[in-house]
Amino acid sequence: MIRVSGLRKRFGASEILKGISFEVPPQTVLGIMGASGSGKSTLLRCMNGLETINDGTIECDGVRLEAKISHADYRRRVRDLRLKVGTVFQHFHLFPHLSVLGNIIEAPVHVLRTPKKNAETEALQLLESVGLAGAARRYPGSLSGGEQQRVAIARALAMHPALLLLDEPTSALDPRRMNSLRALLRTFVDRGHTMIIISHSMGFLGGVADNVLFMEGGLVVEHGPTDQVLNSPRDPRTKDFLEQAD
Amino acid sequence: MDQHQPTWTYRRLVNAQKLLCALLCCVFCAIAANAQDASRKRPLRWGADPSGGAPYVFTDPANPDRYIGYEKEMVDALAAAMGRTPEFVPSDWETLVSALQRNSFDIIVNGLEPTGDRARQILFSNPYYIFQLQLTVRQDDSRISSLADCKNRVVATLGNTAASRLLQQEGIPFRSYQDPVGAYRDLELKRIDAVLMDVPAEAFYARPNPKLKPAGAPFTRGLYVIGLRKGDDALKAEVDQAIDKIIRDGTLETILKKWGLWNDAQVEFQAPIRAGDQATANVEYTTTNAPFNWGEALWRLTRAAGVTVFIALGSMVIAVLLGLPLAVGQWKGQAWLRALCTIYVEFFRGTPVLVQLLFLYFGLPVIGIAMPGWLTALVGLGLNYAAYESQVYRAALEAIPHGQWEAAYSLGMSPTLAFRRIILPQAFRIALPPMTNDFVSLFKDTSVAFAISVWELATAYRELANASGQFLLLGLAVSAYYLIMSLPMAHLARLLERRLSNRSTERMIEAEPAEVGA
Repeated sequence: MIRVSGLRKRFGASEILKGISFEVPPQTVLGIMGASGSGKSTLLRCMNGLETINDGTIECDGVRLEAKISHADYRRRVRDLRLKVGTVFQHFHLFPHLSVLGNIIEAPVHVLRTPKKNAETEALQLLESVGLAGAARRYPGSLSGGEQQRVAIARALAMHPALLLLDEPTSALDPRRMNSLRALLRTFVDRGHTMIIISHSMGFLGGVADNVLFMEGGLVVEHGPTDQVLNSPRDPRTKDFLEQAD
Repeated sequence: MDQHQPTWTYRRLVNAQKLLCALLCCVFCAIAANAQDASRKRPLRWGADPSGGAPYVFTDPANPDRYIGYEKEMVDALAAAMGRTPEFVPSDWETLVSALQRNSFDIIVNGLEPTGDRARQILFSNPYYIFQLQLTVRQDDSRISSLADCKNRVVATLGNTAASRLLQQEGIPFRSYQDPVGAYRDLELKRIDAVLMDVPAEAFYARPNPKLKPAGAPFTRGLYVIGLRKGDDALKAEVDQAIDKIIRDGTLETILKKWGLWNDAQVEFQAPIRAGDQATANVEYTTTNAPFNWGEALWRLTRAAGVTVFIALGSMVIAVLLGLPLAVGQWKGQAWLRALCTIYVEFFRGTPVLVQLLFLYFGLPVIGIAMPGWLTALVGLGLNYAAYESQVYRAALEAIPHGQWEAAYSLGMSPTLAFRRIILPQAFRIALPPMTNDFVSLFKDTSVAFAISVWELATAYRELANASGQFLLLGLAVSAYYLIMSLPMAHLARLLERRLSNRSTERMIEAEPAEVGA
């Protein structure tokens, strides 16, 4: 179970997250929507420990990160949290000096201490499942954007995260590639993964998310099953946003 | 009145003519006299090395804007005898001959010994002084009592002198110094075992020092002469005549006595001249006549090149090992660490490396740290280049996009692991070209080690070329050595760069968002 409650984040005087609470049931996908500046990306960065939270808690698969604990304790829990949460960044951030295979096995070998052979076998399986079986020895610089994204997904999944975060995965994909990404993500959900996906594309979220959460001004405006939020939003702000989108 | 008028006018005209003639005469006379005067009073420009040059010619410690010394007084006497005004041109011992040839001055008066290879380049006057050599050791040293005991020791002397040639002939390992001060100081600091020096310098610098003692009596006899340009025979005649005069009238004796340099050798040398016998004037120069040996010169250059490579590699290791912590300290350290690193970097970048080496070599012994010259050069250049390398690394580290850190963190890596496995390898690629650049310039910068008497390539060139006059050929040989050393390095670095860039990482960093979905 993934649970966020009362999450607050301030940058100086401005509060970006003003008390966010939601849950994500296992093996489901939560889609997060919202205008730019609504706090979606900050929420994601809090959930993998890249931002320090000011209040509230984040629980993920037995790890509980909360504000107002000692600095050392907080750091320890952030490390634990990061082992439970995998992230696919908007710009992927692949390691350019490592081959595709090297990118995927780097963390399992050096963080989890998986034997290199085992890590490689698993990495090749992951590459096959994202449709890049032949690319293991290539370097990120020679891959297309879509291919890089698949490598980034494989890299995150190689750590067996309880939760996978995807930040704007559709921002630069054409409709055909969007469909194949949606199918790919669904197969991973069927295999037991849980995901949170930030996206502006309602078409994409409609096909992949089980639930959708709409944010504005650092608050959750609406949270419910995908069908209900996208087709009959209760809050006028959600309605307004959806009317202007897509 | 009417008649008087023309007469008066005429007379006036005649007078004016006479006056004009007289005036013209005066002008011509004046010009002629001036011309004569000019030739008689043309200054006598003489060159010598005043740095550590006592008692020959050196800066007056009591009056630092003027020079004193027995040769200074002798030149004054010579110039007076020649009816000229002396004009001193401070110069550098090792390059006196080439400076003379370049017309920087007209004569060399600096305890110059007539040697065979100098005789090929310049003219010599008649001798004016008989010098001897004296071996000096530390007061507590009982191992060395003569040159024969020095076969396996390191003896220091001035470069390109009778003493250095003697040591070379005897096959005794020796180190050349720029001035006696440095040689005797290094003897005190046990960097060397003995110093062999002309008696005048030994008498001035070593004898008053209680920590040093002479080993054995002065030995061999050699001549000091004045050096002149080839073809300047008129001046040579003039100088010879003046030397003859100041010996005959006792002026030179007075000067030498005043400086404590009058001894039996001088008495024997001056006696026949004062008796009017010129035979001794054409003295043969024997002990110091060693022909230039190309084979040996190239072998010495090769060894010097080895020293250069050793110093360059050693200091690069220090620079790389120290540069990285400096860079990280300045980049991510706490305020006090950042300040400390910045002070280090600014100090070593803001002061000349030459001054740093001199400080390490001469300054540190004061607090009891006396390193040998090669080690001083290695450490000094290493510390200096560490400052430069740290800036190269810092720029490279800062150039790695922040996303790389975040990606590493989100995979559960600790900051150390992320730095070691993700950031450093990428920064290394960025830093490689400027590092290569620095390493090549470090190779060349080893030449400053010459200031602390390390026998590396530049020192070797200077000494061998000064000894032989073969500036051009030896210069080409030395350049070839530097190129042989630096070109493979540059080539190696290019290969490495190419290998790394085959992974086409740059394309990705540049084209990250744009290529998405292509």
